[in-house]
Amino acid sequence: MFRFDRRLITNFDWVMLLILIFISAMAMVNLYSSTWRGGPVGSPIFYKQLYMYLVGFALILVIVSFDYSELELFGYIFYVLIILTLAYTTFFVDTVAGTQRWIKLGFFNLQPSEPAKLILVIVLAAHYSNDKVSLQKGYGLLDLLKPALLTMVPFILIFKQPDLGTALMLIILLVSMTLLLKLRKSAIISILATTIPIAFIGWNFLLKAYQKRRILTFLNPEGDKANHGYQIMQSKIAVGSGQSFGKGFLEGTQGHLQFLPERHTDFAFSVWGEEWGFTGCLIFLGCYFFMLAWGILTAITARDKFGMMMAFGLVMLIFWQAVINLFMIMGLLPVVGIPLPLFSYGGSSLLTTIISIGILISIRMRGFPDQSLHHS
Amino acid sequence: MKNLRKRFIQEDIKLDEISPPTPSHGGTTHLSDQDEGDLDFFKVRIMYLSSVLIIFFVLVIARLWYLQIQNGEYFDSLAYNNRVRSQEILAPRGNIFDRNNQEVVTNRPSFNVVWMRKNKKIDNSFLEIMAKILHVKVEDLLVRIRKNAHSPLHVPIILAEDIDWKTLAYVENKKPELPGIRIEVVPLRTYHFGDLASHLIGYLGQINEKELKKRKEEGYRPGDLIGKSGLEKLEQTTLRGEKGTSYSEVNAKGYEQRSLQDTEALPGNDIQLTIDMELQKIAENAMNAANKAGAVVVVEVNTGRLLTLASTPGLPLTKFVGGIPNAVWKSILDNPYKPLRNKIVQEHYPPGSTYKLITSLAGLAEGMITPDTIIFCPGHYKLGNRTYGCWKKSGHGPVNLNKAIAESCDVYFYSLGQRLGVDKLAEYASLFGLGHKTGIEMEHEQSGLVPSTSWKRRRYNEKWHEGETLSVAIGQGANNTTPLQICMMTSVVANGGTLYQPKVIEEIRDPDGKPIKKFTPQIKNKIVGQAKNLQQIRKGMISAVNDKHGTGKIVKFEKMIVAGKTGTAQVVRLKQYRHLHEDDIPYKYRDHAWFVCFAPAINPEIAVTVLVEHGLHGGSGAGPIARLVLEQYFAERLKEVDTMSFVSLPDFSEETLVNPQNNKIKVN
Repeated sequence: MFRFDRRLITNFDWVMLLILIFISAMAMVNLYSSTWRGGPVGSPIFYKQLYMYLVGFALILVIVSFDYSELELFGYIFYVLIILTLAYTTFFVDTVAGTQRWIKLGFFNLQPSEPAKLILVIVLAAHYSNDKVSLQKGYGLLDLLKPALLTMVPFILIFKQPDLGTALMLIILLVSMTLLLKLRKSAIISILATTIPIAFIGWNFLLKAYQKRRILTFLNPEGDKANHGYQIMQSKIAVGSGQSFGKGFLEGTQGHLQFLPERHTDFAFSVWGEEWGFTGCLIFLGCYFFMLAWGILTAITARDKFGMMMAFGLVMLIFWQAVINLFMIMGLLPVVGIPLPLFSYGGSSLLTTIISIGILISIRMRGFPDQSLHHS
Repeated sequence: MKNLRKRFIQEDIKLDEISPPTPSHGGTTHLSDQDEGDLDFFKVRIMYLSSVLIIFFVLVIARLWYLQIQNGEYFDSLAYNNRVRSQEILAPRGNIFDRNNQEVVTNRPSFNVVWMRKNKKIDNSFLEIMAKILHVKVEDLLVRIRKNAHSPLHVPIILAEDIDWKTLAYVENKKPELPGIRIEVVPLRTYHFGDLASHLIGYLGQINEKELKKRKEEGYRPGDLIGKSGLEKLEQTTLRGEKGTSYSEVNAKGYEQRSLQDTEALPGNDIQLTIDMELQKIAENAMNAANKAGAVVVVEVNTGRLLTLASTPGLPLTKFVGGIPNAVWKSILDNPYKPLRNKIVQEHYPPGSTYKLITSLAGLAEGMITPDTIIFCPGHYKLGNRTYGCWKKSGHGPVNLNKAIAESCDVYFYSLGQRLGVDKLAEYASLFGLGHKTGIEMEHEQSGLVPSTSWKRRRYNEKWHEGETLSVAIGQGANNTTPLQICMMTSVVANGGTLYQPKVIEEIRDPDGKPIKKFTPQIKNKIVGQAKNLQQIRKGMISAVNDKHGTGKIVKFEKMIVAGKTGTAQVVRLKQYRHLHEDDIPYKYRDHAWFVCFAPAINPEIAVTVLVEHGLHGGSGAGPIARLVLEQYFAERLKEVDTMSFVSLPDFSEETLVNPQNNKIKVN
């Protein structure tokens, strides 16, 4: 289909791949512990995720061999496909465990709201890099109408599922990427002037106490059953009791005595914090930060506006999910069902994140030559 | 694709150049000076916005510092000292009752002794004490401990399962002196009728990976017990109930400090069977006592309720509780009587002479014979250059329908079958439900086989031979039926043409005893307009039991009229065995024995079918079991002195005048 080119190897972004492998290894060590039920072997969940990682790494090889600029067009095709899939899932598939809906593909249950986030980033980047709005004039309200629409369609579909956490992620992505642009003062003022008072008045005056409670319950339907505070408290205890050096691999009591809910999915990092302590957390966060910073570097060195926008959006996609998840685990945010990318168990989220990183590698490889990489 | 490759190649050319991308490099982005200015603007923007990354990572690390370093010891003490642990409470499975509401399967608490180690060292003196208390060898305890050697300390090790009351009381008493020893309560199945009706009830086992996957969304977890066969499996969802949660304070080593409020487990729904366990007991025990492998089926002829469903040898249900020992499982697999097979529906046998009831109805309904048609039986029947023998070599002489059924004359049915043809026979067999699954609540039901010319063409791509029709007409050859099908066939004859759906569940009740689902009779098929003809067949069956030369005399009662029919299903036709004395034929080559009957002959209530694998003769091999069942079911009435109406022989004189031409069969 295509000729193998040696330059694929010389230009390959080994740094990103290496850091990805580091983080994956930590995630697998943690998953082994969080799903362990005794004995010398891992749980079926562990092997399933391992398999997903292998699929993911193979996908990276495929992705980097294509020029990312293909996505300017293909992004819209994917967008239409994912909207149809979302509509199908929202209206025809029953919920699992209250919030998420999956499509059973036999070998794998697809959660279409995960790739939807990635595709939105691609489509927004494609739109912003081609919309011919000049930098001198800046963006007016009308210029933002189309990107807002592009976001609202999947937002409503995911909101209906109902998965408010993921739906809000779409808004966060829209805002993050729009902040890259030069906005006209009038546009900024009118956006702030409408959204902030509506949110403020809405929350404080229009909603009654029980309605607010209902919204909080809506954010996490499972949490209400088993008492919200309980989950967060247990998570805080887990992380806190890890202290400086942690309790050691497989020795975390909070996790293994079943105090921790969702300990291999949303609360995976609590297990890490408990077993590896502050030291382990610093190592993990260091790697994670480095990965994101490398992504930012990729954005800055991208060869064109589309690559730049997309790289930035992808970094933001991973970053915001990570921050929301970590804040939730450490009791700084209410419990919403947002996973820690690469670290929480779940095939859809994992593959989405790995594909994002594959695209970042592709952008990096085709970016402006930075220093000595190219000397022919 | 072509386009993609083109771009890819162009891209590579670009990568080789040192200069920034030129307008020629393809893609949709056209770069000009202004665009480069744009890129610079965005670079700066991205750098500004990247500060959020730093801000938030600093916040995360600060929070971690606060939790792990500043308050680490506090949280550690919380983790160590108390903490509410939530644990699943297993829901008691639903009970199973028989039709008289006798308990058949219920739950009992079983007590396990578990041990929480303080460290990984093994204290020998402690083990010796425990071994003495639990009446086991120290080595056995060591084996159990070694199995869990890799587990961390807070995972309890089960030292003994299902201990008796004496040991339990002793352990409870001595608990303060036995550090780390705890009693764990687990509900287990208990079978009040031992292993009776084992194929119907089924057994439980630990859920396997496949089942877990399939039922992932129903809240199952590894280690859960789940129905593996029989009703336990088919009605798993009904019986299961809902798990509860118990919250208790434990310390980090897993020691329970105090229990808090629980959300209670919801017991599963109860099932009331249509089975009469006393009748089942008589039938199954009689089969077992005589070391007979086979099946006994009893059905209420006017409703389809099954009163007995016995398949012998049964499964050792009681041994499946808490995991079946390998040796027992192996002995089940090696047993030549195949206990794992549910012979009621999973095995099929040629129906033998019981099939003659169908040949009779086909003959009457199609007008081939009247009850008075006489056929002469010389002891054999010639077709072409082959001779087909009657079981009675000396011959029955002149035979009418009544005698043909009563004495099971083969020649009569050869002749009738030949005239009807195999496809007509198949048509009537199908009306009685043969060749179709009954749809009873049992797994892996076989549909049996009703041979026909089209079947043979389909299956073997061969022409049907007329000689085969003769075999089919007397229930041999390719004919295959399950004991349940034969029982339903008998009930159709008994009730005058209605094929009911056989059922075993009388009622499903919620834990409060409120009925959720109730039994209602369900008609599968009705043979219309054949009441008089079926009456003639019943008359023949009455003669088979009550006449001097009848084959079914074994169920003749002084105080009650019973109607019956014997059957022998040929296993092999090998000449080498035919001349042997019966007892010398190897077990697996002996014929199967059938016995079908219903009672009372007038206004029948129940139909009984007995099949004994390799039991040789219907009358002697299977008949005695049927008799025991009848004696049990009619015990009260057989004791009464004044039962004349119950006993009196009917007068059939009028019915013999029926003109069969007018009776056409209709199927609902």
